[in-house]
Amino acid sequence: MKNLLIIAIAFISFTGLAQGKYEKGMTKAFELWQNEKPWEAANMFERIAQAEMDNWLPPFYVAQVNVINSFNEKDETKLTAQLKKAQDFLNDAKALSKDNAEILVLQAQLYTAWVVYDGAKYGMTYSQKIAQLYNEAYKIEPTNPRVAFGKTEWDMGTARFFGQDTSKFCEDLKKAVALYETYEPKGPFHPQGGVEYARGSLEQNCKEE
Amino acid sequence: MKIHNQLNRSILIALIIMLLPTLVLAQTEVSGIVTAKNGTPIFGANVYLDGTYDGASTDMEGKFTFETEETGVQTLMVSYVAYEPFMMAADVSQFKNISVELREDVNSLDAVVISAGTFEAGDNSKVSVLKPLDVVTTASALGDFVGALQTLPGTTTVAEDGRLFVRGGDAGETQIFIDGVRVFTPYSPTTNNAPTRGRYSPFLFDGITFSTGGYSAEYGQALSSVLLLNTIDEPDQEKTDISIMSVGAGLGNTQKWEKSSLSFNANYISLAPYVAVFPNRNDWEKPFETFSGETVFRRKFDNGIFKFYAAFDASNFKLTQEDINLPEGLRFRLKNKNLYTNASYSGSLGNSWKINAGASLTHANNEIGVGENDIDNIENSAHFKLKLRKRFSNRVKLTVGAEQFLTDFVEDFENPFAEARYGFNNGISAVFSEADFVFSRKLAMKVGARGEYSDLFNDFTFSPRASIAYKTGKSSQVSIAYGDFFQQPFNDILKFQQELEAQKTQHYILNYQYSANSRIFRVEAYHKKYSNLITYDTEFPSFDSSYGNNGDGYARGIDLFWRDNNSIKNIDYWVSYSLLDSERAYLNFPTAATPSFANTHNFSVVGKYFLADWKSQFGLSYQYASGRSYTNPNEPGFLQEKTRDFNSLSLNWAYLISQQKILYVSVNNVLAFKNINGYQYANTPDVNGNFNRRGLQPATDQFFFVGFFWTISDDGTDNQLDNL
Repeated sequence: MKNLLIIAIAFISFTGLAQGKYEKGMTKAFELWQNEKPWEAANMFERIAQAEMDNWLPPFYVAQVNVINSFNEKDETKLTAQLKKAQDFLNDAKALSKDNAEILVLQAQLYTAWVVYDGAKYGMTYSQKIAQLYNEAYKIEPTNPRVAFGKTEWDMGTARFFGQDTSKFCEDLKKAVALYETYEPKGPFHPQGGVEYARGSLEQNCKEE
Repeated sequence: MKIHNQLNRSILIALIIMLLPTLVLAQTEVSGIVTAKNGTPIFGANVYLDGTYDGASTDMEGKFTFETEETGVQTLMVSYVAYEPFMMAADVSQFKNISVELREDVNSLDAVVISAGTFEAGDNSKVSVLKPLDVVTTASALGDFVGALQTLPGTTTVAEDGRLFVRGGDAGETQIFIDGVRVFTPYSPTTNNAPTRGRYSPFLFDGITFSTGGYSAEYGQALSSVLLLNTIDEPDQEKTDISIMSVGAGLGNTQKWEKSSLSFNANYISLAPYVAVFPNRNDWEKPFETFSGETVFRRKFDNGIFKFYAAFDASNFKLTQEDINLPEGLRFRLKNKNLYTNASYSGSLGNSWKINAGASLTHANNEIGVGENDIDNIENSAHFKLKLRKRFSNRVKLTVGAEQFLTDFVEDFENPFAEARYGFNNGISAVFSEADFVFSRKLAMKVGARGEYSDLFNDFTFSPRASIAYKTGKSSQVSIAYGDFFQQPFNDILKFQQELEAQKTQHYILNYQYSANSRIFRVEAYHKKYSNLITYDTEFPSFDSSYGNNGDGYARGIDLFWRDNNSIKNIDYWVSYSLLDSERAYLNFPTAATPSFANTHNFSVVGKYFLADWKSQFGLSYQYASGRSYTNPNEPGFLQEKTRDFNSLSLNWAYLISQQKILYVSVNNVLAFKNINGYQYANTPDVNGNFNRRGLQPATDQFFFVGFFWTISDDGTDNQLDNL
C-alpha cells in the first residue's frame, strides 16, 4: 500500500523538475528545522527565496525562524539583528502577497518579541499595533487557527495584565485549538504549525476547565 | 514547528527515487572557507550559487562544501548578518577551496554613530536616551516635551521661564523644527513668574532629537541648540481620546483610510477653578485661559509620504502683579493668537536619491497691556526648504539643500503720551551641503557647510561644520565636533534697529559615550565662543538706543548623563549633571558678567517605578540648581550676587484603570521649597540710602494636577471571537 502511494506521488511529481527542485528544497529546509538546526534551515529558505522571486513562502519562513528564535534571546545586539532580518524578509513576503493573514500574524509575533524583550520600552508603542494586526488578520481569515489563537492569547494576556477575569477567553481558546484540526493548508508548504504550542497554552491558561 | 508531515516525507522519498538517475550526472564540488577580515572563521554564513538551490551553511571552522550540477559562469554569494554580502562570478570549476573575506556592514547595529551634542528620543535609535513615552511620564514635565528635556544635561533651570536654556545660551538661541521645518513661535505665552509650555502635543510626535551643540549644517539661525520633532508617519489605529483634567479638557480623534489618515485634537485649559481653590501670588482679574487645536493629515504615495500639520491656539489673561516701585501693583494683560501650518513631503526619487521638501507659515498676534502701555504686534513668518540626499554607497552619502526664511514684524505702541509704529521685513536665504563618510564600523565623519545671505543686513555668512566619531570598544565611542553658527538678533532688537549683523558662536565638543545592556553613560565637554553679540546703551532696548554688534562671551562646561534601566528590577532612572562656566558682555552690560540664566551647577534625577500588581507607574523627579546671579545696587558691581539654590521634588502616579483608561495625579514641588528666582530692587533708595528689594517668587510654589485619560478604539477588550 505504502509503495503504491509512493509510486502515485512519484508520477504526480514527474510533472516538472523545477517544481521538484522547489519541493526538494523546502522539504530539506523543514527537515533541518525539525532536527533543531534552525539557522541552517533559515539559510536554506533564504537560498530558495532568492531563486523563487515570486513566492512569498520562503521569505516568510526566513522571517519566522528569526522571530521564533528571538523570544528567548537576551543579547540585545543579537536580538536586534535577528528581528531586523526578520522584518526585511517579512517585508519581501508582504510585497508578494497582499492581505495575507499569516503574514499579519507573523508581524504581530515579531512585535511581540520586542515587547517580551523590554515591555517598558516597547510595550506602549507596539501593543496597540499588535492588537490592530490581529484584528486585521481576523477580518481576513477568522477560521485560520493561528489568527484565532494568536488574537485570543493576546487579548487574554492584556486582560490578565489589567487584572481582569480571563476565564471568558477559555471558550475562545478552545475553539481556536479545535480549528487546527479542521483547517486545511492552502497549498503545499503553507503554514500549518502551532498546534502543540496552542494546546500547551490552553492547558496552562485554562486549568480549572 | 511540526510542519513536516507524512505527505512531504513521501514526496521526498519519491523525489529521491526520481532523481537517482540524474545524480549520475556530473557534479561539481564548491568548497572553501569564510572568515572575517581579522581571520576569525564565520559560523553559519549562507553560501550559495545565485539563482539556484545549491548552497550550504558554514560550519564552526567557517568551512563550507556543497555540490552543484550547474556549469559555466555562476555567481557565488555569501551572506551573514552584520556583514556586507559577498559576490563573485566565475566558472563553477573555479569555486574550489576558495577563501572569502567578509567586510563588516558599516550600517549594522553596533557601528559607530556620531553622537556629539545629540540626544534622541526614539524607539530603535542607537543614540536614543529617552523613549517617546518618557516625555509624558516624567514627573516634573506635566506632559510638556520641553519640560522633559529640561531633565537632560546641558540645560539650565530657569524656573520662572520654562523655555530651553542651553549651555549658557539664552532661550532664543534654541530653534525648534517640526518635520525639518522651522517653528517661529514655539511657546505659549505666560506671566513672568510661571513657566511656559511647548505649544504642541507630545502625542503627535514619535521622534525627538535634542542637540545641545555641534549640529548639522542643515540647521541654521540657532546659536546654541536645535530641537527636532518628527510627526508620526502612520497612526496605529482609529481612536478617540478624551481627557478631563483639573485644569481643563481635551478631545482627540484619529481616522485611517487605506493610504491616508487624519488626526485632530482640541484642548481647553482654564486656570480659573484652580486659582479659586489655591490662590497664588498673582492677583488675577482674568485667570489664564487657552483654547488650542491641532490637526495632522498624512497621505502615503508609492515612493513617499506627504504630511500636513496645522495648529491654532488663542490665550488670554489679565492680572495685577506685585511691583516694588508701584504700591498698587503692575497691571498686565495679554491676548495671543497663533496659527502654525506646516506641509512636507519626503520620498525617494530612485537611483538612491531622496527628497525632502517642506514649507511652514506662522501668524502670531499679541495684544499686550503693561500698566498704561498698549503693545500690539503681528508676526508673519514663512520657511521654505528643499533637501536632496544621495546615497552613493553604504559608506558615502551626500546632502544638499536650500531654504528661505521670511519674517514680517509690525508693532504698534500706544500710551496716553505717545504713539508709534515700527517693525521690520526680514529675508534670509541659505544653502547647505553635508557629506557623511563611514570609513569602517569604527570610524565615521560628517563634514558640511552652510551659507546664509541676509536681505536685511545685505550680508553673507559662511559656517563650516564637522564631526568625527571613533569606536573605542565594543560599547563605547568618542566623538568630536566643531561648528560655526550664526543667528540674527531677536525681534525685540530688530524691530528698533536693522543696521546690524548676525551674532555668532563657535562650538568645540568632545563626547564619550558608553552604552550596553540598557545602560547609557555620556560625558561631554564643550567650549562655546560668542562674538558679534548685540549691545545697546539704555535700560531697555528702545527707539532711541544706540545699537551695535560689540558683545562677546564664552560658555564652557561638562555635561554628565547616566541612565540605567537594568540594574534594579522595575526601576528605570536617569541622572544628569551640568557644570557651566559662562560670562558675556552684551546688551547693556557695563562689564563681562554671568547672566542670570547661566547658573553653575544643575543636577536632576528622574526615576520611574513600575508596580504591575497595582497597575501603576510611580514617577519621581528632583531638580537642583545652584544660585543665579543678580545685581545688588547697594553694593558695588554688576550681577555680583547669587540667589540661594533652587530645589524641587515632583511626584506622579499613573494608574491604569483598564487598557483604555488612565488616571494621572502629579504634584510639583512636594516639599514646598521656597524658591527665589531673583530680586527686584526699588528704583530709588529709601531714607537710609538703601535700595529695598523684593524676592521674585514663582506664582505658586506647588502645583497639583489630576487628569483622567480615556481612549476609545475598536480593538479595546471586545472580543469578536464569540461569533465563531
